[in-house]
Amino acid sequence: MSTLKKPNLTESELVFGLRQQNPAVLKAIYSMYSSSLYGVISRIIVNPELAEDVLQETFVKIWQSSSNYDSGKGRLFTWMMNIARNLSIDKLRSKDFKNSLKNQDIENNVSFVEEQNKVTFNPDTLGIKQLVENLKPDFQAVLDLVYYRGFTHVEAAEKLNLPLGTVKTRIHMAIIELRRYFN
Amino acid sequence: MENIKEYIESGILEQYVLGDLSLDERMQVEEKALLYPEIREEIQAIELAMEQYAMQNAIAPPTAVERRLFEASGLSHSIDLQNTDHKNTETQIRKLNSDGNITKIRILRYALVACIALLLVSGIALMITYNKLNEAHDQIANLSLDKQKFAGLVSKLEYNNKGLEQTIAMSNSSDWTTVKLQGQSFSPDSKMLVYWNKQNKSVLINYVAMNLPKTDDSHDYQLWALVNSKPVSLGVFSSEDVNKSTFLEMHTVQGAQAFAVTLEKRGGSINPTMEKMIVMGRV
Repeated sequence: MSTLKKPNLTESELVFGLRQQNPAVLKAIYSMYSSSLYGVISRIIVNPELAEDVLQETFVKIWQSSSNYDSGKGRLFTWMMNIARNLSIDKLRSKDFKNSLKNQDIENNVSFVEEQNKVTFNPDTLGIKQLVENLKPDFQAVLDLVYYRGFTHVEAAEKLNLPLGTVKTRIHMAIIELRRYFN
Repeated sequence: MENIKEYIESGILEQYVLGDLSLDERMQVEEKALLYPEIREEIQAIELAMEQYAMQNAIAPPTAVERRLFEASGLSHSIDLQNTDHKNTETQIRKLNSDGNITKIRILRYALVACIALLLVSGIALMITYNKLNEAHDQIANLSLDKQKFAGLVSKLEYNNKGLEQTIAMSNSSDWTTVKLQGQSFSPDSKMLVYWNKQNKSVLINYVAMNLPKTDDSHDYQLWALVNSKPVSLGVFSSEDVNKSTFLEMHTVQGAQAFAVTLEKRGGSINPTMEKMIVMGRV
């Protein structure tokens, strides 16, 4: 078990171990995915302390509700990412977060987050950043809100003053661009 | 087929992957995914794109998070159960202790505040009591002074009363002659009485019925009787009655025509100093 320094278990092995409540598997999942999930979380929550809290909560939830995961319905990472996103968004709307921003109202949070994000970008992801910037600005705006900041589609539509359908289409197109880049 | 393409292009599958659908919508998507492999593939492609995107944007969390997660969270319980029970109980005990310390400190803080308040109240109470005690002391001193005054007054009254009773008894008896001595030019306001018993010739003076100036330490009064125009000393007395008896018995005398008192040096003189005659009265 202690030889899991560089874990390369398959997804089904991870899922099986998680169901068995094997702590070593949780450690493996942590070393494989914590960075990705922390990346997702810190794009929604800029405050590092709160982001760390959410990361911890995310793994506690992954551990506790592993029986809820249905491999037939999607990839393990998608499930974990959505846990992380939902906890982040919950945190963003919670008292904790509002208190941490003191007198900034929720509308200002978005621009605050935006500014902070520009600083915290991982230099390794500049390529992606460029790609996102190379997207049509329309696509970029929607993806930015939904992916980076944890807006729901409805909220993004309100924010950008667009019909919900348009937002949905634009995200679809943006992700097709991403797929093209990765494949 | 056309229908499916439209469905895919609607963007609902991205929403599905991002977890931005209601339960109903999610179930519809899952239903369609079961029916159409194209939709299943599309969802997988979106998931993979998202996953890769996330990996490209990964940020390594601080190592402290991992430690906290596995040591402090509820996870440590099950992990430690499988590894070492010992470590688990240790951490739990430490946690309880630190909680205990916090409450202990809080209790001590309240106790300290209470002690200070109690000290202040006690101090104030002590001050008030001390003031009252002082007042009481003053009152007691005043009262005992009053008591002394009254006791003095009572004994003086008793003394006067005794003298007066004796005076009355003597004036009722036919044996006694009362001689009034009047102030002379040396001391015009002075006066006194001399009682002379015709039967046994004894002479008494009464301090109650006496008003003479006070003598100093080097002088005494001396009582004289005039017998056949010769002064006969009947003894000395001071202005204050040293024996606390109202009557003072002097020497006996026969056939006195008058009585007089002169101021003489202490112990008396053989002959009266006529110019210092205080009072005189004829029988």
